[in-house]
Amino acid sequence: MTGTVSARPLWRRLIGFNLLWGIVLGIVGFYFGWWLGHQIHAESLSFFESTNQNDVALMLGYVFALVGFLVGLGFLNYPLSRMRGHRATQAEKEEGGVGRYFTLCTDHKVVGIQYLVGIGFFFFIGGMNAMLIRAELLRPSPQLFGAGNYLTLVGLHGTMMMGIMTSGILGPFANYFLPLMIGARRMAFPRVESLTFWLLMAAGAILMTTLLFGGFPTGWTGYAPLNDEANYGFDSYIFFFALVGLSMTLLGVNMIVTTITMRAPGLTWGRLPIFCWGAISTALLMVLAAPVLIAALLMVAFDRGVQTSFFLSSAGGSPYLFQNLFWFFGHPEVYLLALPGFGIVLELLPVFARKPLWGYRIAVAGIVGVALLSFFVWQHHLFVSGLNSSLRPFYMFSTEAISVPTGLIFLCGMGTLWRAKIRYRVPMLFCLAWFFNFFIGGASGVFLSDVPSDVATHGSFFVMAHFHYTIMGGLVFAFFAAIYYWVPKMFGIALNERLGKIHFWTMFISFNSTFAPLFALGLMGMPRRVVTYPSNLQPLNDWVSVSAFVLGASMLLFLANVVYSLVIVRKPAPANPWDSHSLEWQTPTPVPLENFDRQPVIDSDPYDYGVPPVPVPLPPPAEAPAPG
Amino acid sequence: MGPIWARVTVIGAAVVVLAALIALYVGNLVTEPPTVSATPAAAHEVQLKLKTEPAVGPQGANAPWVSYLVQNPEGKWIHSTIYQVPANSLVHVTVYQFDSDSGLRNPFLSQVQGTVGNTMTVDGKTMQAIPPEEASHTFAAPQMGLIVPLRGVPEEAENPCEEGPCSLKQAHETITFTIRTGKPGRYRWQCFVPCAAGFLAGFGGPMQTIGYMDGFLEVV
Repeated sequence: MTGTVSARPLWRRLIGFNLLWGIVLGIVGFYFGWWLGHQIHAESLSFFESTNQNDVALMLGYVFALVGFLVGLGFLNYPLSRMRGHRATQAEKEEGGVGRYFTLCTDHKVVGIQYLVGIGFFFFIGGMNAMLIRAELLRPSPQLFGAGNYLTLVGLHGTMMMGIMTSGILGPFANYFLPLMIGARRMAFPRVESLTFWLLMAAGAILMTTLLFGGFPTGWTGYAPLNDEANYGFDSYIFFFALVGLSMTLLGVNMIVTTITMRAPGLTWGRLPIFCWGAISTALLMVLAAPVLIAALLMVAFDRGVQTSFFLSSAGGSPYLFQNLFWFFGHPEVYLLALPGFGIVLELLPVFARKPLWGYRIAVAGIVGVALLSFFVWQHHLFVSGLNSSLRPFYMFSTEAISVPTGLIFLCGMGTLWRAKIRYRVPMLFCLAWFFNFFIGGASGVFLSDVPSDVATHGSFFVMAHFHYTIMGGLVFAFFAAIYYWVPKMFGIALNERLGKIHFWTMFISFNSTFAPLFALGLMGMPRRVVTYPSNLQPLNDWVSVSAFVLGASMLLFLANVVYSLVIVRKPAPANPWDSHSLEWQTPTPVPLENFDRQPVIDSDPYDYGVPPVPVPLPPPAEAPAPG
Repeated sequence: MGPIWARVTVIGAAVVVLAALIALYVGNLVTEPPTVSATPAAAHEVQLKLKTEPAVGPQGANAPWVSYLVQNPEGKWIHSTIYQVPANSLVHVTVYQFDSDSGLRNPFLSQVQGTVGNTMTVDGKTMQAIPPEEASHTFAAPQMGLIVPLRGVPEEAENPCEEGPCSLKQAHETITFTIRTGKPGRYRWQCFVPCAAGFLAGFGGPMQTIGYMDGFLEVV
């Protein structure tokens, strides 16, 4: 938490470029676009005229809302200033106080905290939707929401989690710590860094507006022809994922350029922290995969708004095309969620095992291998869609082959833990749980990559159990490991260890109690996204729902820990509470505005535990007070 | 950071605001059409009067959507598809059908099933089936074994109703039938004719939304 507190009075700060004005101009922009859409919307443009749904107006509303939002936040100030011939500055970085968290800020540490809070907010909403889904499934027939709203809830939960959480680790932790870990003063493109965050927040807000327009019935995949049939509410899905895709692409470019060009002297690729390898591999996937999604959504928008027929078979288009484009993004996206988790876990293991990372180069090969192979597996999602059956063996083989680099990562993790004197602190517990969960997720994935067993389980709760084990069991557990590990550096205060352990055990047990039975439900034939189910499945569903509620309660325990530790007690944490050798822990807390007083020079790798300790630089001696 | 009491107060206020927002969110989602009771007719017999309109108009949130409506015991037409009827009773149903035909894709559904005598009357004439292509909607509750096809208003009919509220002075078909309810429960009913004009293949929109072309029979 750096920077100086602004001396301007509150009222003066409120009328500057900030979130408040972003929201105001966003609303004004929405109504302008809505009005404009109704002016230009010709009768012949609307395929769905009889539904009285003017998709063009709604889409223009979202476009102008986004423009207004970004103008209100101050994103046009710099380009306009440069156009007027003013010198390039980073004035946004100088702004101090709480206000910088609510506007465009070019300090990567501020952006990291913005991401942490923003993503946490949407993660809470996504989780709440999960609770509502499980409440509905307490009984075999619809009882609370009805089929339409249930589908919307399922879609909102899946879309929000899969969209927002793709930046769940890169957003907060890579933005904050990657420059510190590589000895840089900032990210390569600081304004772009801030833009990625605010695009994500705009996306989340737009997705929530679907409730005002009737929701959407497609789940998170948004398949054609459902995406053409769907109400108004589907337009918010289009804009949400397109903005998330844009945010991911820009975030990825920024990470790649920063890592390649801004590493400190001596930080060779062979010394790059493994978390940075996870981040840059994820960034590569983002840059290559997300634009395909954006293009696909643009085509859907045209189909819905201006009567093109890219995905309408009745007019010469192909719904399969959408499935292919979606999963060309969608399967790498699964690894967008997993790879940062690999990076976090391998980064933390040596710290708590007090041993060097075993097989560093093998681990890097595993991470890069997963990233590359992830582009050659997407059609396993289409095994039962009617694709050419001669393609099945290739995609079956490529999908099963991805377990090889994943196995390398496990191997390195196990090698690091072998004969180690492990410190079972909260971050380490989450890392160990990650191995347990991801193993179950990975092993069950083999059944879905194998054509015969996939045909039997496709579209069932078995699939849902599998991907929750990989994504929640992988990403979210790694996310919490990262929070407990790095919060002392971000805020200068550690989270309470006892509450953290209660949170961990409650979450770990209830997570497994929630998702393991879903394998059985899937094998018994319970389909996804259907509000009703046979009454003989009720006991198991009730067990799952109660477990899910306990899982939800464990998240509230975490929130209670955050409030207790960061707001109420506020006990300062030691400068390096985990005795880490990594570069980010060698900076003072709070981290200065420019990170380092002088350019660091790297002469060892960050995992040299077990060798004589690296001397920690002492702070400069305080000047003696002048006599008299 | 201010004193601890100020921090706790802010946290308390935030929790209250958050709880209110969650309640609003959930409340908005659980909203469904009102449950309308059938009108008592005699001992163990009730009367249920329905009408189908080609576009619900200002009576519903989606004015262009085709929809069912129901008459409450006070004689007022209500935009709802959740009907409460007594268990183990006879329900005399009258449907005033204002929509034109869309045609059934599955001819099996053109046969009357599950009513008393497996028959219905259309404009006073007893029938056991209609030509599939003349169907405008169905009133079908699979769990109760009930299927009643509703014949559409002919295209050449004079004074057709384009948008609700439709009046009985306008062209319509009057369909009556009687069903015998069994044990209490919540039974899903729906229209099986792909009648959602403007949606691909006639599905989506009103076909999947409670309050329009599907709903529940609450047997109590």
